[in-house]
Amino acid sequence: MTIPEANGQGDSARAAAAPAPATAQPEASAGLRVLIVDDHSIFRSGLRAELDADLTVLGEAATVDAAIISVIDLQPRVVLLDVHLPGGRGGGGAEVIREAASRAPHTLFLALSVSDAADDVVSVIRAGARGYITKSASGAEVSDAARRVADGDAVFSPRLAGFVLDAFGAVAGETAETTEELDRLSARETEVMRLIARGYSYKEVASTLFIAAKTVETHVSAVLRKLQLSSRHELTAWALERKLL
Amino acid sequence: MTRPRLRLVGGVCAGFAEHTGVSLPTVRLVTVVLSFCGGFGALLYAWLWATIPSGGAMADPLPKSSLGRSRGFSFAGPHEAPVVATALSVDDDTTSRAATSSPRADADSARAAPVTEILLGLAVLAAGGALVASRLGADIPLAVVVPAIVVLAGTALAWRQFADIRSGAAQQSSALLVRILGALVLVAVGILLFFVTGTNPNAWTVIVAAASVLLGVAVVTAPWLLRLWSDLADERAARAREAERADIAAHLHDSVLQTLALIQQKAGPHSDAARLARAQERELREWLFTGTRGGSTEPATDLATALRRIAGEIEEDFAVHFEVVAVGAEVGVRSTASPESNPGSADAPESLVAAAREAMLNAARHAGGAVSVYLETGARGIELSVTDRGPGFRLDQIPEDRLGVRESILGRMHRAGGSASVRPGPGGAGTEILLTLPAAAYTDPGAGAVPVTPVTTTHPVPDTHHTETSVR
Repeated sequence: MTIPEANGQGDSARAAAAPAPATAQPEASAGLRVLIVDDHSIFRSGLRAELDADLTVLGEAATVDAAIISVIDLQPRVVLLDVHLPGGRGGGGAEVIREAASRAPHTLFLALSVSDAADDVVSVIRAGARGYITKSASGAEVSDAARRVADGDAVFSPRLAGFVLDAFGAVAGETAETTEELDRLSARETEVMRLIARGYSYKEVASTLFIAAKTVETHVSAVLRKLQLSSRHELTAWALERKLL
Repeated sequence: MTRPRLRLVGGVCAGFAEHTGVSLPTVRLVTVVLSFCGGFGALLYAWLWATIPSGGAMADPLPKSSLGRSRGFSFAGPHEAPVVATALSVDDDTTSRAATSSPRADADSARAAPVTEILLGLAVLAAGGALVASRLGADIPLAVVVPAIVVLAGTALAWRQFADIRSGAAQQSSALLVRILGALVLVAVGILLFFVTGTNPNAWTVIVAAASVLLGVAVVTAPWLLRLWSDLADERAARAREAERADIAAHLHDSVLQTLALIQQKAGPHSDAARLARAQERELREWLFTGTRGGSTEPATDLATALRRIAGEIEEDFAVHFEVVAVGAEVGVRSTASPESNPGSADAPESLVAAAREAMLNAARHAGGAVSVYLETGARGIELSVTDRGPGFRLDQIPEDRLGVRESILGRMHRAGGSASVRPGPGGAGTEILLTLPAAAYTDPGAGAVPVTPVTTTHPVPDTHHTETSVR
């Protein structure tokens, strides 16, 4: 499920166009190019300092409008995107994805949020984010998640996995009969989600279920696709009703 | 100068007495005497009553309740005179004492009732007196007395209905409205009677009559409308406070939670700063999303909340970070103090919570770092796992904890009709404690201790050091 890398093309030119990234990131090698979008400068600088060395921060943006422009200009590989953002039409992170994704075809979005509210998470995932992690994650965890997103995988936090299990009625015993079915999880996907909700890493899920790590990733990506495309009413109703993940 | 809340008529005499230091009976006597001097006393009284603010109610910043159940707002109190013996004694009380003592409040609300009776009584008395006087041959101006009686009765009835409305005692508001209108019509008719029975009516009589009716109805309804308006203002203030709170919540969510997350991130999971930040974050979240302020005092009613609370408590004492994920239908916690509080629902026994707490405590004590707590409540039952990434569960390292695990976790779950297992965590690192409780063990109220054989599974791979192998 790996999406072809857009590495190398015009890398140096884009790095030069970035507002002020190269100075803060001395080891600006041709690593994974990320853009940090968050309206709190303290969080941006904190995250920037924490990120692994092989991640090159192309720039930062604080508002929806600035983020859209930056994504289109800089064409980063991964955008670390806050769910709540000022500006634009008030759509926050989801709006950035909707506006910028078509004009930055190789850019992937990783939602980063302090919010536990399911409707926030679901809105940004359904807009096209490839994953979701909480802001309490360490720099190494964020870096790892960014790398996985760049490799085409989906990144699920335990909470998001728990939400998925709930929203698709997997706990109540609903299982999809065919792989085409969007509104229910297959038995294997349910198992994978269950283990991720328990805090297992993909590798640990793979070894517990005696399947290859790549298979786990396939399952997770399939779940993400269902999350994005399913019209299951729980996905919206549940979030509104319970407010919390 | 204010009029006290507890009053005989309008509280004017009491307020005046309190203000000047003159004894209350003297003030009252003077008032009565002045009233007979061409009605001057009564006029002065009425004027003072209108101009002097009522004490207490305005100084009270918090609306105790939007409806007038509370003592300060009981309707008839400020306006009329209950001639009750006990009321005389309380009348001398200061506002503050009246406001604070609840027996007084009861007395005050009890005073609300007699007003209408007194007015009705006056009406009846006047009617009787007039009858007797006319029998005795006195020249009774019936043209004045009859309307007066009607007006008194109408006013009394109207006020009674208003009191009912404010206290929320009446359920059928439409019927109440009809009765109020009826009472008001009575007042209007009474006032009109003054003029209808008069001699040679002309245009002026009609105008004055119309004005009088309007005035009369206004006088009767004014106090009620005033109360209604103040209730509305109170309600508006409450709503404004609610909006303000939502604003603050939004702001806190955006700024403070971010900062707390950052602190945790920068400080590392094992530091005191991170722990403090995490505790603060949790408190804030609870406040923001559930609306409870410092709600940790009341017992948790559902299992997920109970687990989160336990996680919070343990995090305060240990360098550990629990990620609690709850999936499935909400399951309550049956408290041992009040068993079968709601027999219809399926509640998890408290022993499950206790066992989970022990497992989490164990993880915090011996592993620390990030610990996952996963709760799944499905049709089959409750499944709860506590997974840590610590050094693994070795009894030789922690001999004193042997009993804790065997009794507090395994034994407890067994007695509750469930099972518990301790095995190495994912990838062979750390420990995973799995608690399962079949649905049958807690849905049936009578099945407290089902004799189920404990399925204490042990992982097949090298875990000879695990707890099942040791006997105390």
